[in-house]
Formats: sequence, structure tokens, C-alpha cells
Amino acid sequence: MKRPASRRGTRMGRADLVDESLSAVLARPWRAALTALGTVLGIATLVVTIGIAATAGDRIVSRFDRLTATAVTVVAADQGLPAGPGEDPLIGWDAADRLGRLNGVAAAVALAEIPPGTAPPVRANAVQDPSSVSARTLGVVAAGTGLPAAVHGRIVAGRFYDAGNVARRDRVAVLGEEAARLLGISRPEDAPAVFVGGEPFTVVGILGDLRREQALAAAVIVPPTAGADRLGIGPVRRVVVDTELGAAALVARQAPLALNPGHTAEMRVIAPPDLQRARGAVEADVDGMFLVLGLLCLVVGAVGIANVTLVGVMQRIGEIGLRRALGASRRHIAGQFLVESAVLGLLGGVVGAAVGVVTVVGVCVARDWTPVLDLALVLAAPAAGVAVGLLAGAYPAWRAARMEPLEALRAA
Amino acid sequence: MNRAAARPLVEFEGVERVFEADPPVHALRAVTLRIDEGEHVAVTGPSGSGKSTLLGLLGLLDRPTAGAYRFGGVETTALAERDRAALRAGSLGFVFQAFHLLPYRTVEENVMLAEVYRPRGTAAPPRRTRKARAAQALDRVGLGHRAGFRPDRLSGGERQRVAIARALLGEPALLLCDEPTGNLDGDNTAVVLDVLDELHADGLTLLVITHDEAVAARAARRIRIADGRVVGARTAQGATEGAVEGAVTGADEGREPAS
Repeated sequence: MKRPASRRGTRMGRADLVDESLSAVLARPWRAALTALGTVLGIATLVVTIGIAATAGDRIVSRFDRLTATAVTVVAADQGLPAGPGEDPLIGWDAADRLGRLNGVAAAVALAEIPPGTAPPVRANAVQDPSSVSARTLGVVAAGTGLPAAVHGRIVAGRFYDAGNVARRDRVAVLGEEAARLLGISRPEDAPAVFVGGEPFTVVGILGDLRREQALAAAVIVPPTAGADRLGIGPVRRVVVDTELGAAALVARQAPLALNPGHTAEMRVIAPPDLQRARGAVEADVDGMFLVLGLLCLVVGAVGIANVTLVGVMQRIGEIGLRRALGASRRHIAGQFLVESAVLGLLGGVVGAAVGVVTVVGVCVARDWTPVLDLALVLAAPAAGVAVGLLAGAYPAWRAARMEPLEALRAA
Repeated sequence: MNRAAARPLVEFEGVERVFEADPPVHALRAVTLRIDEGEHVAVTGPSGSGKSTLLGLLGLLDRPTAGAYRFGGVETTALAERDRAALRAGSLGFVFQAFHLLPYRTVEENVMLAEVYRPRGTAAPPRRTRKARAAQALDRVGLGHRAGFRPDRLSGGERQRVAIARALLGEPALLLCDEPTGNLDGDNTAVVLDVLDELHADGLTLLVITHDEAVAARAARRIRIADGRVVGARTAQGATEGAVEGAVTGADEGREPAS
């Protein structure tokens, strides 16, 4: 005959704990699914929120290509005219030299143009031929020699005028690609002339492939000296600066000071928005609202699990009594109900993460975006589900463990 | 049965159970009784007489308000809850009127449940042979062919035999049955009682609480309870009665008198 066992408590194997809990959850699959639904929604909302925010942030950042991020334009107010008689213009033609000394400036060019509406007709020869339309209304722009570099243009034929041309006040011109086509000029080496409002200019080159200031493609570009002499093109209206990558914000701050320290207020600076801040702002916008929504869903999910687990405890009072009679300690009972709710939470986390990922990918496919998904997020979701389950199961587990075995057996 | 040679398994000495209420309910008053290994005892009495309270105390599911309870020589009233749980798991088997089978588990799984909680310090039987032992226990109650069934597909008598098989898996020293036939019709009652008789014949110590005369008649000894007092319990005989009283005092101090 067996004698009473030694007195050191009872043990429950880990495999048994998992077995018992899983069996209890899987015994009512529909109930389990509905219980986990709140957690599924919560986790899915969080994954979608964070996933879409990351995707949208990436998308906005990808719009800022290198070209946009390195463009700074300083525009003179009041058409750049001198403040009073005898004073210098707001921005001088030495703007490129002044800005070139700034750290982070790759190239700069000062621009002035004949205001639209007063632009003189441009023609390729002096002959008045009534049978063909040879006169064109094109933009006429005076620009420094740094123009091709500053606008990322390419000289497709001939050359750009140089400092010598400017200093000698040579009447030379460079045509934008489109302007050259309209005027029928393609070989600057033949030294063709264009007549701007009757003033002849020798074409020395054709500028094409403009990446900035694309309006210049249909313009006649002349040196500031000749432009002022012959066409009365006035003071500098704006300065286009090409910065080093990442230096735009700094250059934008320093440029007005370098150009005219006494009148910085009269200059308007157009600079690209700060990349980091743009991305952060977007993510914060999207995140803030939906994170709260997702957390709210999680709380609802937790309450759902707590509620159903509590109902389960009440329905299984007899089972609790039986397990205690079979030797289960209070800790075993609490452990089982905790694991059961953790399993429900895990279920919610895994399904929620899957739903979230599918939604993010679906939105991206529909919008033709590139989905950006953090693997850590997808892995953290089930863990968050387990945490929700454990939190939700704490009270029911405590209630179950507190029951007196004899009363539990009688109550059922 | 030679009672002089028998070793005591259960020793109640002046056990009282008072439930806190206004006025307090004296469910058991100064119960002294002894059950030896291998006995088959029936506890009878009217409803509310204290039978169920007695079973709760015997099964270590409840603690007496006063008195001493030695189980297999071990004083249990001062034991920590987890040690009492170990005794339940290792030495006690329960059969309830309500069966207490888990509806969502198969017959076999219900039986195997008895091995989920094992006393520490004992060599736990290997988990992978648990199924085989459950099948053995089911064979012993004649239900080997029902292993894969859910309890709701069984008759009442079959369900109670599953519960008995579950109790047997823990190899208990004492099988406590609380109205085991209370929910059964005549035929099923007979089958369950036959199973219990067989187990007793194999050497299992049985205590059956019942209000059914036919059930009580199967037992070799009958203890009657009325109004919380034991009437006609055979305690340690005649001359030893006084010695038992003395042992109660000793038990309070020493906790584990030599058995």
C-alpha cells in the first residue's frame, strides 16, 4: 500500500501547462477568435499606422531629390531698385563672388530680366520678311557667367560667354535650347546674330538640359554689361544658388547678409524645407491620431479578454475545484488562466500584425507606393499582444486562484 | 479483517468545523474517528448533517476549526497549503456526485488530468507513457473502448467510472467518494458500486459518503452522522479511547507523533 507522499508542494510541467491552457482555448475556437478580435484590431491599427507613416514619410522624402535640396534662391523686393537716388542697387552684379566665399555654396548666379510685357521682339536677321514669322517674343535675361553651373545646364553647342566678354562689354548672347530652335539657330560657330529690339548680339553658344530655372530655355541670355548698355536691363532681381548637399539651410540664412548686410529685410529667400523636419512632421501628423486610436483599440481588446476570461473563470468554477482536488496549487490555477489569456493575446497579436501588414501593402499597391515596413515592428506586435493578454488575464487569474476548492466543487 | 494488525490511515481527533456566521454554524462537533488501510467505510446521515463537511476535511480541501487530523501518520492541520496539495495529488482520490469531467476533453484526456499535478520530490511518471497508464485505468473500470469519446456521449454510470479511473491514475492511498451514485439510476448505480467493490478487493481504502442505504450496505463499516456528531463510529477501541484523547494534546505540540 502506498504511503503519503513527501510534503514539498506539487509541480506542473511546462508542457502540461501549455497543453492545459491551449486545450482550454481551442475547446471554444469561436469564442477565442471573438475574444482576440479587439486585440487584432488594436495591433492591426498600430501596425498600419506606423507602417503608413513610415511609408508616407519615405515617400515625401523621396520627392526631395538632390536638386531640390540644394537650391536656394534670393529674390530682391521692389524689383531690386536702389532705395534712393545715388545709392547702389540692393544686390550687385558681384553677387556670385560674394556668395562664392560662403561655405557650402557650389555655384551662384545673379539674374535680371526685362519685365514680361515689355520684352522686345527677337529675330534672327534684320530682313523684314512679311511671308514668314521671324520675330519672336522671347525672354531676355542678363546673367553672370556662373549660370550654367548654378542651373545645372549643359552647353549643347558653342560656349558660354566668359568674364572677358563681360568686362569688354561685348555684345554676345547665349540662347536657351528652345529659343535657338524657334529662331532657327543651331551652329553658333558660324557666329550668327540675333536682333533683340533691333540691337544685334552675336550668338556664342546654346544652353540646354536646364534642371533649374527652366524658363531660361526660351530666353536670350546676355552678359549684364551689354544688357545694361543696349537693352537697359536693370538691377539684379534674384540670385540662384547651388549649394552643397545639406548646406541649403545654412546658406539660406547667410546669403542675404553676404549680399547686402544693410538691407537683409528687403530680400526674400526661397529654400527647401528641412528634410529631417519634413519627415518628422509627417510622421508625427499621421502617428499622433492613429497611435491614440490603436492604443484605444488595444485597451478595448484587453478589456474584452479580461471580460471573457472572467466569464470563463465563473463558468469553470467546477474545473478549478477539481484541479485543486487533483493537487493544483493556487499558483497553478493562476498560471493556467494567465497562459490562456496570454495565448489569446498572442493570437490577437499575430493575426493583427498580419492584417496590418496586408493592409499597408494593399494601400501601397493601390497608391503605387513603396511599402516601408520595420521588421522589428512586425515582430514586436505579437509580443505586445502577449503583454495585453497577461495584463488582461491578471485579475481573472487572481479571482480563480483565490477560490476555495471545496466551495468551488460545490458551486458547480 | 484483523484490526489489531491494521495501520491507521485516517485519524480524526476532536475535529470541529465551525463556519463563521451569525450565529456560528457548528457543522462538525468533536469528531473522533479512525480509518485503517484497506477499509471500506460508508458515511451516512440526513442532508445537512455534516457529511460533505467531513469529506472536505478528510480530502484536505478544508481545514478544521479545532482538533487534529493525521493522514498516514502526518499531522495535516498545520501543513502549508502547498503541502496539503501535494498530499491530495499523491495520496488522495476523489469521486464526486457531479463527476466533474471536463466537457471539452476526451475521456482519455480527462483521466490523464490526474497526472498533471504531481508531488515534488517523487519520481514523476514519464509523460509519454501517461496515455498508456490512462488506458490501463480505463480498462480497470471497464471503459477501455470509450477512450476517445467526449463525456457528453457517455451514460451517467460511464461518466462516473471515468471519474473513478481518473482518481485511480494518481494511485491514491484513500479514495473519497461523495454521493458517487447520487446522479445515477439503478442499473448504473449497480455498475459503479461493482467497480468500487472490485477496487476495494484489490486493497484500495474506500470512504463513501451516501444517503442511499443500498450503497451503504456494500461497506464493511458504517459511520452515521447526525447534527454534526458521529454516531456509531468505531474509533480506536474501548481502552484506547483515553489514549487517543491524550495524543491530541501531544499532536498539537509535536505535530508528528510516531506512528
